[in-house]
Amino acid sequence: MGSEAPILPKWASEPCMMGIDEAGRGPVLGPMVYGCLYCAVSYQKILASLNFADSKTLKEEKREELFENLKANESIGWAVDVIDPSELSAKMLKKTKINLNEISHDSAMGLITRVLAMGVLLTEVYLDTVGDPEKYRIKLSERFPSIKFVVAKKADSLYPVVSGASIVAKVTRDQALRNWVLDETAENMHRNFGSGYPGDPETRAWLEHHKHSVFGFPTLVRFSWGTCTSYFKDIVEVLWESDSLDEEGSSNRSNKRQLKLSSVGFTGCKRKSEEIESSGKGRCKFFQARKLELVNHF
Amino acid sequence: MEVESERGLSDKPKNGILGSIDLRSSESVVDLTGQVHQLPCCIKHDGPCPVSQYFKPHKTGVEVEGLAVEEACFRGRKLQGATIPLPEGYCGYVLGKKKNPEKSNTSEAHEGNCWKVAAKFQNIKYWNHDSLPSGNDAFMRCFHWFAVANALHKPVTCDDLASQSTTSERM
Repeated sequence: MGSEAPILPKWASEPCMMGIDEAGRGPVLGPMVYGCLYCAVSYQKILASLNFADSKTLKEEKREELFENLKANESIGWAVDVIDPSELSAKMLKKTKINLNEISHDSAMGLITRVLAMGVLLTEVYLDTVGDPEKYRIKLSERFPSIKFVVAKKADSLYPVVSGASIVAKVTRDQALRNWVLDETAENMHRNFGSGYPGDPETRAWLEHHKHSVFGFPTLVRFSWGTCTSYFKDIVEVLWESDSLDEEGSSNRSNKRQLKLSSVGFTGCKRKSEEIESSGKGRCKFFQARKLELVNHF
Repeated sequence: MEVESERGLSDKPKNGILGSIDLRSSESVVDLTGQVHQLPCCIKHDGPCPVSQYFKPHKTGVEVEGLAVEEACFRGRKLQGATIPLPEGYCGYVLGKKKNPEKSNTSEAHEGNCWKVAAKFQNIKYWNHDSLPSGNDAFMRCFHWFAVANALHKPVTCDDLASQSTTSERM
């Protein structure tokens, strides 16, 4: 989504600057949105006079008004990347986990790639840091050698172009959450999510109400968030192969060996309920390869 | 159809078990075809749960090795899977413990091993965490056992013996 006009504006072939900012990184539910705003470097002074401030310091109505203004402004372009909570959960809970910083970096670089592909001559990009600012700047510069990057803490309050991007991101995130259609069709579900931040009492009440003993939460929730872990303590336990690999990696060796001995078969092939799948241990290769085990106890 | 039930209880084999599965009622039981899922995790729960309200597989349009790949998520994990029809001549059953009416003349061990059909199914959706379904998955390879078992358990006929002896004579 963004201002992808069929005809590229004339100013896009002048040297352009871009600001990138994020909204919804902290909340336990809803999408994380990366937004960008770009304009000709020569437009910088006028941009500064448009009163974009860090989106967090503005009231919701004011933010929406500013977003409408910038959408109507032909000297400004914008784009967003909406990362759904199910995508965040899936990536952070993959067998090889992708952390939130990496997801954020990829999203920002995706926006730059998209705007460059439209034919905009980007020469400067300003963004808030994710992780170590210098490492991030080097990563970006290596990927886009023709662009000068300014990575700074609180970039959204320092550079008007980033303030503008923060408005794009924040308004998009708020609208996405407001219009969210729950995938789940269980009864008694409602959409009073609150802000989505773990500290918000309304969000906490929503989580408590929508907790399910087997499924956990609706897919609106980021299952990989620490906030969820405390809720999962009281519900049905689910064991994954990828989790047991983690544990094996960290547990000491003698422990592991003991575990293995006990599962080889001195217990009389009685299947342990916590085993994730059958093993075919102790049988010929044909069965081992297919994890077919002889069950003689039900 | 009773399995191994007429052999009596005294000669219980050491390496096996004795039990019976009653398939007689299988015609009238509920058909769960399209609703049986094999998940790549252990869910420590045994009982009903509203699967169709929370578990929403969708087709991806991607096809791998002739399998139409579907996607779903469970507890935040992305699952990729496919629907596998059971081979011709085979049927999947959900079994439940059978209450034996002639309780007096059966021992406890036998009592615990009487099963009857609670539901049946003709296909199964199996899911991988983070990998596309493939013929190399252990689950898919399990189906090889059917052909091997058939070969192993096919009764030997007089013709088989005759052809076997002619072959060995020639050698």
